[in-house]
Amino acid sequence: MIRDITVGQYYASDSAIHRLDPRVKILGTMAFVVMLFIINDIYSYAFSILALALVIAISKVPSSFIFRGIKSILFIIFLTAILNVITTKGTHILLQVGIIKVTLEGVYMAIKMVVRLIMLIIGSSLLTLTTTPIQLTDGIESLLNPFRKIGVPSAEIAMMMSIALRFVPTLLDETDKIMKAQQARGADFETGGLKQKAQSLVPVLVPLFVSAFRRADELATAMEARCYHGGNNRTRMNKMVLKGRDYKASAIIVLYIAITVAIMIIW
Amino acid sequence: MDTMIKTENLRYEYSVTYEEKGKNVTKKIVALDNINIEIEKGSFVAVLGHNGSGKSTLAKHINALVRPTSGTLWINGYDTKNDEFIWDIRQSAGMVFQNPDNQIVATIVEEDVAFGPENLGIEPDEIRRRVDSAIATVHMEDFKRSVPSKLSGGQKQRIAIAGVLAMQPECIVLDEPTAMLDPEGRKDVINTITRLNKEKGLTTVLITHYMDETVGADRIIVIDDGHIVMDGSPREVLVQVEKMKSFGLEVPQVTEIAYNLRKKGIDIPADILTPEEMVGAICRLKSAI
Repeated sequence: MIRDITVGQYYASDSAIHRLDPRVKILGTMAFVVMLFIINDIYSYAFSILALALVIAISKVPSSFIFRGIKSILFIIFLTAILNVITTKGTHILLQVGIIKVTLEGVYMAIKMVVRLIMLIIGSSLLTLTTTPIQLTDGIESLLNPFRKIGVPSAEIAMMMSIALRFVPTLLDETDKIMKAQQARGADFETGGLKQKAQSLVPVLVPLFVSAFRRADELATAMEARCYHGGNNRTRMNKMVLKGRDYKASAIIVLYIAITVAIMIIW
Repeated sequence: MDTMIKTENLRYEYSVTYEEKGKNVTKKIVALDNINIEIEKGSFVAVLGHNGSGKSTLAKHINALVRPTSGTLWINGYDTKNDEFIWDIRQSAGMVFQNPDNQIVATIVEEDVAFGPENLGIEPDEIRRRVDSAIATVHMEDFKRSVPSKLSGGQKQRIAIAGVLAMQPECIVLDEPTAMLDPEGRKDVINTITRLNKEKGLTTVLITHYMDETVGADRIIVIDDGHIVMDGSPREVLVQVEKMKSFGLEVPQVTEIAYNLRKKGIDIPADILTPEEMVGAICRLKSAI
């Protein structure tokens, strides 16, 4: 059934990672991604892999969910590997075909890039796997709030994201209805090649767009009727409060950064 | 009694442009004309009219979503033409719309109810109190943390009503709140509205075209083609079967039965509005034989 599609890829569980404040998780993920681009030697790589594996273990998210994200970018990983192998210049030539040289440095570089990419994807999908879209939205709003002074519309961005999330099930329902109505009149969405299938979706998308615009108009009126006038002077019922575990998690993130930097300096 | 809503010679017109014989024609349409009404605080007023009669336009005026072309409209003493008071007006006259799906903003019930007070800049603790009490008032405590898209139409409309209540308005305007609901949901919503009016003294303006929903009102205003054509208590308005029909409106089923019985020469009161009254009248008729 079309209704069962969930937004994002949240994996419901009650782990220590799930319970963390979304802001800590977002900042932690950002720190991890930045570190991935700094680390360079095998020891810091090993340490980062170990740290990531530990977080995955604590999060209780099954590995099948973790690796699902990688499948969709397999092609990019493959391409990155090939490009790195053939473009990196080096002295230890392993294989030479025409002008293409495969060097030891190239292979080494390719392995590093692939590992880096895979960790990047796993790290960021861990964030969306353990945080609901609503929490993510609230977290982003709260993190962007200090930038309001320089004109970043943090509350408006969060409002747009949450309205988009709110309307996903409504519009899915509508799509389902339109498709059924057209199937009842003989439309065929199942057979034919990719081109035919795409063409048969046009009569679905047109009424869907028309209805989405009508809904947007009505929603805007309803929001105005309830005194919405942008993010200024707006308060929130639920204030996000950092708890003890959030401070502990932040300390661990800082510790991770420190150790990684230390490893890089020592070796 | 204090006046909640007052209009003086209210007129609203808009222009539409359409193509006729290859030329663009602009036509002025008068949606409301010469509207003079006064609605007292605490009263329950039903506004009736067929589609396109201008009743929804009137509703949007009360919330200052639409401003009069000429004439004046005061809500709680505030002139809606004055921009300064627009948020006071919208806070004191809340509005519930027809489509429940298109007025719910948040992804969780209690956060949607909090949307209005949040816009008013109220302190978080006070918002929490108001939200809890508004949700309790519409009997939706069990669904506080639910996702609105999983609720029924009637439940969604009750949430919309709670969203208005959390702003602590003095008046609530409902623009055909039951038009998209099943009979069960309709009953649910109408009972909630009636209870709020009776228990909390909330001034209620119910725009509808279902006659049965107007029986509990203190007053009925019938709008046809932008004009007020009838104004009075349900017993005065609804029993004028022929006049109502000339405006494209039905009367409650039992009132129509009584009307038809009288036409056949049966001596039955003409002002029957509810099935209970009908039962009483028939019993009296039977014992008289």
